[in-house]
This record gives sequence, C-alpha cells and structure tokens, in this order.
Amino acid sequence: MTTASAYVRSGLFLLTALVLHLALFSDLRVLGVAPEVPLAIAVTAGLVGGPERGAIAGFAIGLGIDLYLPTLFGLSALIYTVWGYTVGLLEERIFRSAWWINVLVTAAATAGGLLVYAVLGELLGEVNLYTDRLYTVMGVAAAYNLVLSLPLLGLWHWSWPRLLGEER
Amino acid sequence: MATGTRTGRSRFTLIFLLLTSATLLTLDARDFEPLQRTEETLSDLISPLRSGADRVFEPVGDAWAGVTGYDELESENEALRQELQKLEGQQILDSDAAIRLESLLDVLGLPYVQDIPNVVGEVVTANVGNFDRYSVQINRGAEDGIRNGMPVVTRGGLIGRIDGDPGRGHSRVTLLTDPSFEVGVLVVGTEDVALASGGGHGEPLMVTKGLEIDTEVAIGDEVVTSGVDRSRYPPGIPIGTVTDIDFDEARLLQLLTVEPSANTDSLSFVTVLLYDPLEDG
Repeated sequence: MTTASAYVRSGLFLLTALVLHLALFSDLRVLGVAPEVPLAIAVTAGLVGGPERGAIAGFAIGLGIDLYLPTLFGLSALIYTVWGYTVGLLEERIFRSAWWINVLVTAAATAGGLLVYAVLGELLGEVNLYTDRLYTVMGVAAAYNLVLSLPLLGLWHWSWPRLLGEER
Repeated sequence: MATGTRTGRSRFTLIFLLLTSATLLTLDARDFEPLQRTEETLSDLISPLRSGADRVFEPVGDAWAGVTGYDELESENEALRQELQKLEGQQILDSDAAIRLESLLDVLGLPYVQDIPNVVGEVVTANVGNFDRYSVQINRGAEDGIRNGMPVVTRGGLIGRIDGDPGRGHSRVTLLTDPSFEVGVLVVGTEDVALASGGGHGEPLMVTKGLEIDTEVAIGDEVVTSGVDRSRYPPGIPIGTVTDIDFDEARLLQLLTVEPSANTDSLSFVTVLLYDPLEDG
C-alpha cells in the first residue's frame, strides 16, 4: 500500500465517520447525551498514528463537525487538534500502546476534551456550554467512547498499516 | 535522528493547524462573509451524503428512541389520558375560551399568521452535538427566501427564529427554550408589552421584564408575540399559557412563568414566516 492510498483511506474514514455521526450516532442518546465520535476519532488517531497524525485527524474532523454546530467555526478543530496531538505524544512517551490502556485513555480524553471545549467556548463568548449538565455529558460520552474506541483503533490501523510499519 | 526530525515536523504541523484554527475562529467571530460562504458550500457538498445516510439510519434512530424513552413514553401516555378526560369534561368551556381568544385577537387588531408568506421546512438535524440542545437545522435556506432572524412556528405557535445567515438550501433555527432567546410578548387582554426569555431545555419561558405589578393577569391567560414596532416577530403568534405568577416588589413588576404552547421536542416540520418587519411592518 502506498502513502497516497493510506491518505485516501484516512480521508474516506474521516468522511464516513462524520456522516455516520450526523445521521446515526447523534440520535443514539442516553440521558440526552450522544457519543462524541469526532472527539474519539481525534484521540484514537493520536493513539495509533502519533502526535502529528492525531493533530491532522483532529483538525479535519473538527472542521467537519464545526460546519454543523452553532458554536464558532474552528472551535472544535482547535480543541481536537490539541487533543489528538497531546494524546499522541503521551502514547509515544508513556502509554506504549497496550490496548486496554488505549481504551481507557480514549474515555478519559473524551471527558477532558469536553471540559476544555466547554471552558474555552465560554471564554470565547459562547453560552450554554459550562452548565450543570456538563458532568453528565462528560460521563455518558466517555462511557460511549470507551465502547467505540476498539473499532476506531482497529479502523485507524487499517488506514495506516504501511506507514505505521515503516515508522516502528 | 529520524525521531528528532519527526518530532520537529509534528511540532510545526501542530503550530500550523493551531494558527489556522485560531484564524478561522477570529474570522467567524467577525462574520467574515467569504468564510461563511465557504462553510455553506462545504455543508452543501456533504448534504447529499448526509440525507442518504439519514434515510438509511432513520429506523435505527427511531427504534433507539423507542427503547431508551419507553418509561418516559409510558408516563407521558398516562398524563395524556388524564388530560383527555379533563378536556372531555371541559369541552364546552374550552371552545368558549377559543372563541374568546379569537375575538380578543380581533379586538387587538392582530393579523393571522396565515396571511404572512411562509415556507415549510423539514427538520434535517436536531442536535448533532451535546451542547447544541437549543437549535435544529432545516432543509430550507436563502433560495427559499429565508433570512436571518425570521420567526419559525408550528401549529402550536412560535418555536424559534432563524439564526445567522442561512445556506442556499438549509438554515439553523434557534429554539425559544434557549436561555439567550428573547421575544416581546403580550398577555392577551392586557396592553403591557413584556419580554419573555427561554428557560432552558424542557423548562417554561420566563417573563421578567415589562409587566407592571398592577396589570391584571391570571393563570391560564394566553401569551402571544407583541409585534411592537419593528419587532422581528409579527403580532399574535401564540407563545404559551401563564402557569405561575410572582411579584418583584422592588421593581414593581410581575414575573410570569409561561408554558410554551408549541412542543420543541421531536420536531419534524416547521414553518418559517418570511416576515421582514421593515418591509411588512
């Protein structure tokens, strides 16, 4: 598999994930909370591909979801970029890819990412982000992404097999 | 060496992406038009894929809502059964009330909504995220004559307004439950114009400004849009019913709790009133 086809696969994966989130996952709510698929995409990309790919995947999926959110365009892209990068960096230096650690990291990073999103959004003048409901959203979304992390990690390995093989 | 190069490159990538995001944020905060047009174009490009996926996955979403909302549905059914019994007993009174409301609206010179050009739109996406509980997206936009701020109604009454410049074939509706949503209202039978604001998801609206303490208001009174000069809403659109009255002795005002007459949960179709107060008012 060439580098080009790895990027095509990644692009298709991101587009499919965005469409599935809009059409399916955003309706599968528990306690009014939907899975945070775009955030899970950024985090798992960082875990599998390292900081640079985590940042790029986070930026791309963040921009995609920003098209459909009432908050400022670029807010999700900014946070998911940082999150993809940070998780990728931690994975490289600390976690070292044990699958169960990756699953737990995805859940924890989801909760943390939502908190940062709410705080930064409020600082930038958005309303209704940092509310009493935030902790419920963090808990349920983290649990959801815990479950989603395994297939997402597998899909990233499918997207970048040769690139990862060359680097490790 | 290779690791060092990779780390340097990834730092450069991070800085580049962060600067790009920050630039987009700044431009969007300043309503930079080319950016908004690009957003619309991108959104329109994804639209067909999304509509197709919506159709495919709609039964899954419905089934999920049925399963997770079963208890809620049961208690809602029970409440509706009791409500129906009450309504059957009060049918005559209710029809009298409807006639009274109609005549009051006539007396106040409030035109009917049906006289205003309108566009019916389908709700294509209710909340896609976990923080946007107060907005929905509809499949009608600028090419249908929709503009920023136009009122959006259902049979029950006002449900919100168009938020921001719409795309060619889609637009976003901010619901009246949004705590930042404000609308000028009139309690039918009074002459005081007051300001109602959203109370949050599943909560009633609150009237906290403008209603003097000596104005005669009773629980059960109907509340409609005031449509005062240059208001973005035409007069006479039902908002809800007064369910509680409180008094602010310090400011000499009445504080009303208003239960919205239109249900903003599980919206399917909505009507956008092509109302421009500067043209129509």
